[in-house]
Amino acid sequence: MALTEAATTTTSPVRPASGAERISDPDAEVPYLSVIVRVTERPVALEDLYREYAPALRALGRPFEFVFAIESRASHLVPPLEQLAKEGEPVRVIEFARSIGEANLLRYAVERASGELILTLPAYHRVQPEAMPELVRRIEAGADLASARRWPRADGLLNRLQSSAFNGILRWLVGHATRDVACGVQAMRRRVLTETPLYGDFFRFLPVLAMREGFRVVEVDARQHADDRSTRLYRPGTYVRRLIDILGLFFLVRFTEKPLRFFGLLGGGLAGLGSVLLVVLFMQRVLGGQPLANRPLLLVGVIALTLGVQAIALGLIGEMIVHLHASRSSRYRVREGDE
Amino acid sequence: MKRPAVSVVCPLYNEEANVRLLVESVRAALSGVVDWELILVDDGSRDSTLLRAGDEAASDSRIRLVPLARNYGQSTATQAGFDAARGTVVVTMDGDLQNDPRDIPDLIAKLAEGYDLVAGYREERQDRFVTRKVPSRVANLLIRLLTGVPIRDNGCSLKAYRRELILNLGLYSDMHRFIPALAVGSWGARIAQVPVRHHARRFGESKYGLSRVWKVLTDLLTLIMLRWFSDRPLLMFAGGAVASMLVGVCFVIAAVLGHFEGGVGVVFPGVAVVAIGLSIYLLMLGLIAETALYNYSDHRLQSRRFGRVVV
Repeated sequence: MALTEAATTTTSPVRPASGAERISDPDAEVPYLSVIVRVTERPVALEDLYREYAPALRALGRPFEFVFAIESRASHLVPPLEQLAKEGEPVRVIEFARSIGEANLLRYAVERASGELILTLPAYHRVQPEAMPELVRRIEAGADLASARRWPRADGLLNRLQSSAFNGILRWLVGHATRDVACGVQAMRRRVLTETPLYGDFFRFLPVLAMREGFRVVEVDARQHADDRSTRLYRPGTYVRRLIDILGLFFLVRFTEKPLRFFGLLGGGLAGLGSVLLVVLFMQRVLGGQPLANRPLLLVGVIALTLGVQAIALGLIGEMIVHLHASRSSRYRVREGDE
Repeated sequence: MKRPAVSVVCPLYNEEANVRLLVESVRAALSGVVDWELILVDDGSRDSTLLRAGDEAASDSRIRLVPLARNYGQSTATQAGFDAARGTVVVTMDGDLQNDPRDIPDLIAKLAEGYDLVAGYREERQDRFVTRKVPSRVANLLIRLLTGVPIRDNGCSLKAYRRELILNLGLYSDMHRFIPALAVGSWGARIAQVPVRHHARRFGESKYGLSRVWKVLTDLLTLIMLRWFSDRPLLMFAGGAVASMLVGVCFVIAAVLGHFEGGVGVVFPGVAVVAIGLSIYLLMLGLIAETALYNYSDHRLQSRRFGRVVV
């Protein structure tokens, strides 16, 4: 589904969400900026988050709204927000019946948010509120997505080590990545979110994927929030999942249009190894008279060849699917405002 | 909107020194000969190509600019140009001045004889021998042998197409190198070739190198599949399955014979199991391929591929 959406080559004008979908009262002025807070893991008290970040945005002098997209696990956080809304603060709440992942959370929230610009935050502190206006200004200066980078870092060695390992591996495998992908504080034009194919755990790579879609992505240094300094260790499974995410992204970015280049490399190597073994054994049988039946290497060679053929065959299937898809839609984006 | 007779599509990547000359040469070659338009596709250049192409487009309504948002590669850039082209004939040309627009009328004349695609071939190629000409000749020979499409020079971008063909081609990845084979294989295109001029590069850097050998090899494999099996993938996989099954059966026989002669190890039965397993696996993949084809391919388009009303 997400892939076919990316086929759009034209650009759609920014549109406000339809009135029927609005949650807040219709008399309020239409917000220019929608701050979408993704409430999934380790949320802090959301009313405090609002009170901390809202003043910085108020300084921009443009109407804004906060949209809290809350997964069911965190539904105990809703009543204080309702209280805020009653007090007249521009706060809206979207609640989900189950955990649907940050990508879907954000997509749903964007469809119901009214701002031309979207600023998205995790439900915990990453950077100082003062960074927010700068992100918005960078968008107004012509960028499509401005991603905050926690810099200079003020947290412990372990955190920084984890962070730079993650970003380093990402940069090594995928190339042009931003330097703090995990920060998750980003401002963007609405169409970045509606037109970038985004699903599952790939959400965290939004800057990379947006760049690949041809959007202009900039990185903005932002001072780290004091609460972000606490040392975090995750379960081993989390680290494995991050690695798998990067691997998936690597394949997606480099080979999704040419799967055979990846599977062919794998398969070609294995099949080559297998073939060499088989040729050597065969020569020994013919020239040296050594019987084959008691040579375990024969089995090794055959299995390597088999795996190689399987990988290449899978790559061919991939190529066929890409080809079938390509003759219907072309995936490119035309630069805006130039034609 | 009036259709021009010819759309010239020109992908540009970091060709700032050539834009001006290119436009001039197209204008000089075609004005007064045919009604033309020139489509400049800026493939995310990092130099001032976009700016200069924009100036040209602003000064002449026959010149149009398609500015891509990033660097997508020559195939996608060419496809973007195709999508923008309005001409009844579409001509592709390199942006580096190595092709000569004065050959375009010849291509169009040949196309009018009833072909879908007229490919130019470079008679006297002005490039480095070892890194450019030799790999190119090997590649051309391989493509000719493996796809059965007798194109002398796949690397020459100067080609003319009938509009109907480009509407259906769907270029992606690096398929621009194999357009003739793709056009014959997927669309049954009628192809002719004419000799064209070739100039040495005057400005800028060549964007190719030897690194593309692996890309060409894998693309070639894909192309063979598309050429011979694009609407019967099960046949291709079944071919592998039968071969693998034969190997498996041979080893079963060897194992049984060995058993009667007393004493057979684990090796022959093992090989037999693996080979037969591969055979079954390939058959299953073939079925998946058929499923993809059934669900994805546009069967109405398929039926239109080879037919042409003659009278």
